[in-house]
Amino acid sequence: MTGFEVRVNGRTHDDAPRPGQCLRTYLRGHGWFGVKKGCDAGDCGACTVHVDGTPVHSCLYPALRADGKQVTTVEGLATDGELHPVQEQFLAAQGFQCGFCTAGFLITAAALDDEGRADLPRALKGNLCRCTGYRAIEDAITGVKHVEEPADGEAVGRNLGAPAGPQVVTGTARYTFDVDVPGLLHIKLVRSPHAHARITGIDTAAALAVPGVRVVLTHEDAPQRLYSSAQHEIVEDDPCDTRVFDDVVRHVGQRVAAVVGETEAAAEAGARLVRVDYEVLPAVTDAHAAMRPGAPVVHDKDPVEARIARPADNVLAELHDEFGDFAAGLAEADAVYRGTFRTPRAQHAALETHGALAWFDAETGRLTVRTSTQTPFLTRRSLCALFDLPESDLRVVAGRVGGGFGGKQEMLVEDVVVLAALRLREPVKLELTRSEQFSGSTTRHPFTVEVEVGAKADGTLTALRVHVVSDTGAYGNHGPGVLFHSCGESIAAYRCPNKRTDAYAVYTHNVPSGAYRGYGLGQVIFAVESALDELAHRLGIDPLLLRERSAVRDGDPLTTASGAEEDLLIGSYGLDQCLDVVRAARAEPVGPVPGGWLVGDGAALSMIATAPPRGHFGEARLRLLADGTFELSVGTAEFGNGSTTVHRQLAASALGVATSRVSIRQSDTDLVRHDTGAFGSTGVVIAGTAVLRAAEAMVGALLGAAAERSGVDVSRCALVGRGVDCGGRVVPFSELAAGEPLTTTGHCDGTPRSVAFNVHWFRLAVDPGTGEVRVLRSVHAADAGQVLNPMQCRGQVEGGVAQGFGAAVAEHVDTGADGAVTTAAFRQYHVPTFADVPRTEVHFADVTDPLGPLGAKSMSESPFNPVAPAYANALRAATGVRFTDLPLTRDRVWLGLSRD
Amino acid sequence: MKPFAYRRATDARSAVATVAADPDAAFLAGGTNLVDHLKLGVACPSLLVDVSDLAADLVEHLPDGGLRIGAGTRNSDLAAHPVVRAHYPLLSEALLSGASGQLRNAATTAGNLLQRTRCGYFRDATAPCNKREPGSGCPAVAGHNRHHAILGASPDCVATHPSDLAAAMVALDATAVVLGPDGERRVPIGGLYRLPGDDPTRDTVLAHGELITAVELPAPFGGRARYRKVRDRASFAFALVSVAAAVRMHDGVVEDLRLVFGGLAHRPWRAAHAEDALRGSAPTEVALRAAADAELLDARTLSGNGFKVPLARNTLVSVLRELTDGAAEPEDDA
Repeated sequence: MTGFEVRVNGRTHDDAPRPGQCLRTYLRGHGWFGVKKGCDAGDCGACTVHVDGTPVHSCLYPALRADGKQVTTVEGLATDGELHPVQEQFLAAQGFQCGFCTAGFLITAAALDDEGRADLPRALKGNLCRCTGYRAIEDAITGVKHVEEPADGEAVGRNLGAPAGPQVVTGTARYTFDVDVPGLLHIKLVRSPHAHARITGIDTAAALAVPGVRVVLTHEDAPQRLYSSAQHEIVEDDPCDTRVFDDVVRHVGQRVAAVVGETEAAAEAGARLVRVDYEVLPAVTDAHAAMRPGAPVVHDKDPVEARIARPADNVLAELHDEFGDFAAGLAEADAVYRGTFRTPRAQHAALETHGALAWFDAETGRLTVRTSTQTPFLTRRSLCALFDLPESDLRVVAGRVGGGFGGKQEMLVEDVVVLAALRLREPVKLELTRSEQFSGSTTRHPFTVEVEVGAKADGTLTALRVHVVSDTGAYGNHGPGVLFHSCGESIAAYRCPNKRTDAYAVYTHNVPSGAYRGYGLGQVIFAVESALDELAHRLGIDPLLLRERSAVRDGDPLTTASGAEEDLLIGSYGLDQCLDVVRAARAEPVGPVPGGWLVGDGAALSMIATAPPRGHFGEARLRLLADGTFELSVGTAEFGNGSTTVHRQLAASALGVATSRVSIRQSDTDLVRHDTGAFGSTGVVIAGTAVLRAAEAMVGALLGAAAERSGVDVSRCALVGRGVDCGGRVVPFSELAAGEPLTTTGHCDGTPRSVAFNVHWFRLAVDPGTGEVRVLRSVHAADAGQVLNPMQCRGQVEGGVAQGFGAAVAEHVDTGADGAVTTAAFRQYHVPTFADVPRTEVHFADVTDPLGPLGAKSMSESPFNPVAPAYANALRAATGVRFTDLPLTRDRVWLGLSRD
Repeated sequence: MKPFAYRRATDARSAVATVAADPDAAFLAGGTNLVDHLKLGVACPSLLVDVSDLAADLVEHLPDGGLRIGAGTRNSDLAAHPVVRAHYPLLSEALLSGASGQLRNAATTAGNLLQRTRCGYFRDATAPCNKREPGSGCPAVAGHNRHHAILGASPDCVATHPSDLAAAMVALDATAVVLGPDGERRVPIGGLYRLPGDDPTRDTVLAHGELITAVELPAPFGGRARYRKVRDRASFAFALVSVAAAVRMHDGVVEDLRLVFGGLAHRPWRAAHAEDALRGSAPTEVALRAAADAELLDARTLSGNGFKVPLARNTLVSVLRELTDGAAEPEDDA
């Protein structure tokens, strides 16, 4: 091939593409990292570029075809330093969260004509966003401005933009894989075709013969040591059942070997040639069947060492508790409802897949792991334990993380890159494909929940029982945590003197389940909220009234079947306000409905603790820089949830400075002492508290230093924007920086904990002929305590609602009889598109929490939880049919109607 | 992806000669389907012959009042073409109901017609599939088959054809102009597609090396036409059921009509029985239902797709009701 030439953003590249290379890898190979890989199949749009002005998916565009053409990536949208109008608009409306999809949206939006702008649901079909719920994107494209510029020190409670916003919209934010590491080797994984098998031999000769293949790593190279891929503050909370590479495979898609090559193609070719001999063993892929006597045992391990409740019965964890007397409560009831509810496997579908790089620092010899993680510190601890490394020899750092939703509270790739790096002493990279993400990472736990609930005629609950079976899949990881949490706030949200729980997390030979937004609560809340709604219908009471009568009230103890959790309390209470919002919305006129369609409305509520139990540590450090600005270092990670924006607001407000005077570093084990990380909705409540404490300490340090410097008593010193007023003379911060280094730290240990509330309400219309459902209205009321950034918090709610909506109506990871995942692409797994997601009206309760920073509560996972039951309850009201199995796809709705 | 050679064709004849001479060669047009399959390992050609430079992207009037569409015409250009919008709106509707802007900007007319099934087992190179690997079996028969065929399937294959455009082209009685090693031939689109039978590897009657160079439409059918697609979600999903329909009324009676189902079979399914039942009749509700039932009489369902029978019937009746009595219904699934 000669004479190839392409102009990219005005620059010429004339090296010919490799045969078969798509335009995306060509562009990224030339440093245009704004072009993202989300699916590699033309489904997600994150790789969209202009070729001669026309938007195309660069993942499906043969690079050779770009010969002689002009290509524009997100980096080329701005001209002469002036942002393109859509970039300005995305900043003004903050039309992004994690930002991984944003470049694609910008490129698509920049090419829209009037017709396209007038029909965004159609025009944006080719771009997926998992974070925002699309309202913010719509506002960006239509030119709505939300961002405010408050006065110095007044940032809290205002709509500040994300610190990384300018980088996100220009394609210069650096995500995990957006680094150029010289000499980087590539890893491809060999995966099991069997649900359960013992490896009897691995022949790597043919793979090693492939030019460019450097090494093949198998169970013989991996540490014998068992660990859990789940990351929690207390290691012993998670089962110890996983090896980097095991000699027994327990699900189709389990990793068997890693092939390290000089190019991805070499590694891939090598991976195809690794010959593995298996002794196939019997498998079980149904959680109920797995608990029956004689079922194949998934983990034949010591219960104490492996922290598995009953390995021989495939029971990873179980909970049997009763509060009061359930049978007596049931006998007292005027009406009883019993139903069984099922929720499917679901995928996080963060647009950035899992992946990591590892390299040794040339001078110090220290190993750095750059990874897409929510938990850098815990991952470092796990890696050090696994490979016998001192923590000082390992740095774990996250770039900007392209979405997490719980999936990156898991060590799924870092162990492999460290194993390979330690073997070869060279830089290595492992990036999962979208299809591996579906079949070889983790999913939401599928639950079967039986609910039995009894009430008096007036709706007063007398008995509430849940029987839960959770399919944890082939490895336990988050199985116990999810199980225990699932039966916590879902049950404690209701006043009922008699409660019983029987719950099981069960091993099967399915793809492992893991942490997923809501952490089990959503599954049980779907069941409980559906059951209470049905009970109300049967009692002839308004379902909303039943909730108003039976939900917890301010001052109530929070009791599950296990009694009260000692450090959990209703620190503040906004549920009543949330329910009032729904009551008011419901009273408004219905509006036009297609002829012959059925209409109904329904609500559901949810409660969530503002932090995980058993300790969650936040750590922040603030440093005064020589120029008089401040550097804030936080240990926790940001994956689009906006916590970094709030951290900067908290620090700037406490210091009385503009937010632009506070720069942020984060997600790096070199920055601060231990930090548990970003999960359990802790970004504002725990990490924010740590930031606030560091800032408050800095205020004291600044005043003290200024008093000493000026000789004025500290009581006459006050912060004034860029310095300290010492009895009339202002000592600038930069002058204070010249003296003793000023550094303060803040720490939060995450206890005691409060609760936050969410209520969702839908009004739906249903076409009985096709099962098509249209959302006529969607209203969400949230008790987030004091809202520190209303624009961002609204975005969190909308994003959670959109994900909940996907879970309610569309998303299901299907598996075959052997447990193999059959929905391994976005073409089959329907993440909601712009056109799918209804616009939701978001309301916040006026509440101040005494425990959270400046009165704030968490609002990260929770908006997801009440969406599916609210949808099912509205369907029930419209059709008279109680739907018990998610998702509520059209055919299910239609079949439900025809059965009736 | 397996290594392959790449050649850029400069004229159609030599492209055809090259591919016809090599059983492992394939044409590459827009690439939105084939490049995906290369990455998945579903297609492993040893040679790709790129036909995107053949300047086959003209849309021209034909002397008989019809329209000739170059095979390389991009889906976005065809959907937006003023003549297509004015006289063959069914094509625009069908094209815009599928894919995304980015894909339509790259995908071609012939490529759209020749796209492969989206059956998940076909697309999973590690799963058995008679279409991909003859004789390996069809897991869909006993597996996930919600999207699969209820008409014309065989025990060897229950895949459906995914193209919205194909259903509309069949309803328009379009003809494919095909260039082969022995010269040009014309294949009515209605006869282009095969049922799977015992050889599901072949989607169409085209021989290896034959290249569609254009699609010709007859003069506009007149009357009213509609493409309606029912799917799992509002956008970017393949049809569970779709209906391409054109109806010409005269004095309250159906003078002539064309009815095609998408999403139900290995090929776009011309509903000839339903057409025969309605041609010359008054389109009463009873007649519409009877016509739909007549077409679906031979439907055979699998464990997961039984809903398609009533869904197809209801969708057909609803479209026909709209086209015959003038009462416009709310827009479905735009």
